[in-house]
Amino acid sequence: MKNQSQSHHRTLERFQVSRRIGWFDRFMNHFIVVGGLMVIAAVMGIFVFIFLQVAPLFHGAEVKLLSRHKLTDTVDSVVAVDLDEWGELPVLIQKDGSLRYRDLKGDRGIIENGQVFQAGETLSSIHYNSLNRLLVAGSNSGRFAYAKVGYRPEYDSLSVRTVHPDVTRSDWFDLSGKGERILFVDYGEGDSNKLAVGICLDSEGYRHVRAVSLEQDLSLFGEGGKISLGARFDLTEAIDQAIQQIDVAPDGGLVLIVAENGEVFVFFNQGGKLELGQRFEPFGDLPDRRVGGADFLLGDTSAVFTGWEGENRVYSLSLDRDKGKRLYARTKEFEPMPELPEGYFPGVRNNSFLLVGNHHASLRFSTTESIRWQRNFEFEIIRGLIGEKYDRLGFLDRTGTFHLFHLRDPHPQAGLRAFLGKVRYEGQAEPDYVWQSTGGTDDFEPKLSLVPLIIGSLKGTLYAMLFAAPIALLGALYTSQFLHPKWRDHVKPTMEIMASLPSVVLGFMAALWLAPLLDTRVPSLLLVLLGVPCATLACNWCWGQLPHRVRTSIPAGLEFLLLSPIILITCILCWKAGPLAEEILFVVTNPETGERVADFRLWWPEFTGATYTQRNSLVVGFMMGFAVIPVIFSIAEDSLSNVPKSLRSGSLALGASRWQTAVNIVLPTASPGIISALLIGISRALGETMIVVMATGNTPLKDFNIFSGMRALSANIVVEFPQAPFQGTLYRTLFLGALTLFIMTFIINTMAEVLRQHLRNRYKAVR
Amino acid sequence: MRKINLIAIILSLSLPVVRGTVEEKLPAYEPVSGVFGNLNSVGSDSLNILMTLWAESFRAFYPNVHIQIEGKGSSTAPPALIEGTAQLGPMSREMKSLEIDAFEYAFGYKPTQVSVSIDALAVFAHKDNPIEGLTMQQVDSIFSNTFKAGGTPIDRWGQVNLKGRWEDRSISLYGRNSASGTYGFFKKVALKKGDYRASVKEQPGSSTVVQGVAVDLFGLGYSGIGHKTSGVKVLTLGDNRDLLVEPSLENCLSGVYPLARLHYIYINKRPSESIDTLSYEFLRFVLSREGQEIVVEAGYFPLPASVAAKTFASLQ
Repeated sequence: MKNQSQSHHRTLERFQVSRRIGWFDRFMNHFIVVGGLMVIAAVMGIFVFIFLQVAPLFHGAEVKLLSRHKLTDTVDSVVAVDLDEWGELPVLIQKDGSLRYRDLKGDRGIIENGQVFQAGETLSSIHYNSLNRLLVAGSNSGRFAYAKVGYRPEYDSLSVRTVHPDVTRSDWFDLSGKGERILFVDYGEGDSNKLAVGICLDSEGYRHVRAVSLEQDLSLFGEGGKISLGARFDLTEAIDQAIQQIDVAPDGGLVLIVAENGEVFVFFNQGGKLELGQRFEPFGDLPDRRVGGADFLLGDTSAVFTGWEGENRVYSLSLDRDKGKRLYARTKEFEPMPELPEGYFPGVRNNSFLLVGNHHASLRFSTTESIRWQRNFEFEIIRGLIGEKYDRLGFLDRTGTFHLFHLRDPHPQAGLRAFLGKVRYEGQAEPDYVWQSTGGTDDFEPKLSLVPLIIGSLKGTLYAMLFAAPIALLGALYTSQFLHPKWRDHVKPTMEIMASLPSVVLGFMAALWLAPLLDTRVPSLLLVLLGVPCATLACNWCWGQLPHRVRTSIPAGLEFLLLSPIILITCILCWKAGPLAEEILFVVTNPETGERVADFRLWWPEFTGATYTQRNSLVVGFMMGFAVIPVIFSIAEDSLSNVPKSLRSGSLALGASRWQTAVNIVLPTASPGIISALLIGISRALGETMIVVMATGNTPLKDFNIFSGMRALSANIVVEFPQAPFQGTLYRTLFLGALTLFIMTFIINTMAEVLRQHLRNRYKAVR
Repeated sequence: MRKINLIAIILSLSLPVVRGTVEEKLPAYEPVSGVFGNLNSVGSDSLNILMTLWAESFRAFYPNVHIQIEGKGSSTAPPALIEGTAQLGPMSREMKSLEIDAFEYAFGYKPTQVSVSIDALAVFAHKDNPIEGLTMQQVDSIFSNTFKAGGTPIDRWGQVNLKGRWEDRSISLYGRNSASGTYGFFKKVALKKGDYRASVKEQPGSSTVVQGVAVDLFGLGYSGIGHKTSGVKVLTLGDNRDLLVEPSLENCLSGVYPLARLHYIYINKRPSESIDTLSYEFLRFVLSREGQEIVVEAGYFPLPASVAAKTFASLQ
């Protein structure tokens, strides 16, 4: 008994590990589990982070009441209400040309600014342009003047700001030239044009539409010289309808004259002339064609029209190719207002505008054709405004009370429609997918379509894989199955060194060496691509014809030593023969002169209709191929070499040739690994950045033409990130691009994984 | 023969085509004591050369000053000023309202703008290209897809009156990336606030635009005049076919050359306080005679003395 227990103890002892190792074992078990979970958590964390960055893009506008203040008792004399950029000093602009400010922040209360315009003239008309903050006045004697209703901040010793009114007014300029009374006048000024247009009433009771341009020399340093009167125009004859409204573009480049029957006359101010360029009816297709109101949107290109049933349309200038000039065409159609729109108030920071009618207010955004916010108030709105920084909304009601709201809408330009849909942007002739995120000025409309970028990513990957996949897979197959073992041991490390080439270096080489080289030698390259496989096959056939004695004189696996010089010579010959092939195949005849030019760069556009540029996808595909080949090669070679030796030996013993064994036995068995290799290659190519950034022109095109450039999602992030303001729309859109890339690789990985599992199950038996 | 060519090249390198001179009235820089510390600059790529040259000469006066310069594009300057990673924000365009808003949101006041030199954007073609000049309407028709200058699309060299082998060639376009002030300025002035074609190849730096055009026979690109190399030629520009001018200081100042602009350095100055000594001395140096001589050396144009004095006065 004792003996037995001793022996039992001994066996246990034999298998028992020391306590220390046991502890370590248990610790490592948990450590690895925790580590694995942390990796999963990290990936999920990245996903959640990206998602949180992207989500605000799809939020609507929030509007909250800030304050209510009584500004006046009589609203009948109010022309407009406006607000400084900090939202502290609203101003009432009154019909007699006086300004009435109300301090909302400090204790200054009501500040009366009195008459803006110089005495000596009797005001007969007054008009306020909120886009450029110009108050324009006409007088009984046919003269007009304008004033800039500005603000000026002052800082005390603690850098606390107080806002003060800052109004600058112009001299009086003669509009009519004949002393006629001005009934209405509007004025716009830009860098190159200054234009006033108005209606004058002569002593016999006739109305004339008169215009005058002003001239001023601007130096490089923005100091304007004296303003003088320029050319004078009489538009009366050109307008054969009763006039309802006159609108001068804020940059003075054109004037819209709306007639009572719903027609709009457009006069363009170009080359010192003011000429009727277009007549159109914004609501010509509706039963009631009349125009309710018309005004400009920020950027001088678009005009917003409202109809008598609450309809709301935006017309923009774009090039009419038939007529060869820029004309207005309908670009946006909004949902109609529930009430007749009586007031239109444009934003000065973006393409937003506010429509008010009776108790209803609606904040709309032109680019995305969306209603950002709308509400029915209990009070009757007579005037409204959008704060200068797009962070305030203000309404003046019938009782003279000013309601100030806080507006939070950081990403009005975003939305699914902007990212994935076709949008007709200002100035473009048709709806399109466009990426152009940044402009030089405030009135720029960001164009944030991801479609060209997704196409760019797919295009780069496609051409890289077209080049890399055959070379890498065939190379791996040859190396693992046919190559002499002594050489095999050198090939793989060499390929792995190739993988360590930084992609910046490859991109740099592509841009400055390969692109100019290939530019003139495309036919040579085509010949090489055609010639090398042909020469190899021909060579192999010849080799097969040789007597057995000759063939066995070379050890198996070293045949490539014979083939290499032949391939090299073929390459050189094909490269040299390229220009000759170009002379024969790629000839373009000039239809006018009959001159025949042999040039691939001309032939390609002529033959396919697609463009040819030097920085094209061929170059990228080539260089990205170099980055991808080692990845695919290395994994594919591993999985081919790991096919059990027994399978190969069995196949060879049964009389199959080396080739038959490789294709029918080894390749199918290794197919799950090969799929993984290709998949990792695709992922690498999709995510590859520096080569694409440097070798292409980063042109956001939407075609799969091999001889044009592209902009990939990954490259886009690199190119645009430095300029993207933290948490701005562009910043978040770049994250959306990253998310898209993430989803694309996710889909490809899933597809490939399913395929791999399927293949693995199928060949499980042979393993 | 070859020797003569070599001499010609050396001469052409040492005597750029266009050059301004520094006015005598500009005050010379006199160093003061007690200037030391680190100065960081983040911003325009166009201004990179200038900032580097200024920094080198400035350090000759003050060896204890360390200056770091990063130039990836004008749009990188405002975020750097806001985050406090840089005291100087060189920009080749004016700040946009949104950028000023972000700055003001962070500090409660607006950034201060200092003009430091005059630059001309040039339109470059390959040196073997026979073209001499373009009107601004043609430039818009070539680069834009909105045609705001009133022209119709131009895609081929034949449409700007080149004959022979140039006639059917499409124009290969090069430009800056959108972070750059050059991109924004060209868009505003040459395209009249329109949009670029999607086929304009966006290059990461001012000099890569010139490099791109130099190796592309059918290329056309825009970049700062200071980045000109012997591989490209500068086109004359103007509003009118009969009045195409080259970018010279006189043409820029008078406004006849359409693509003249100012370079700026933006700083964070509290309205009630004066700026720190180091930034102040650096800007005083930049606006001095020595500083403006460096501007000429870098291939740009110096500020007139009156403007430099006025700019400097606004700093105090």
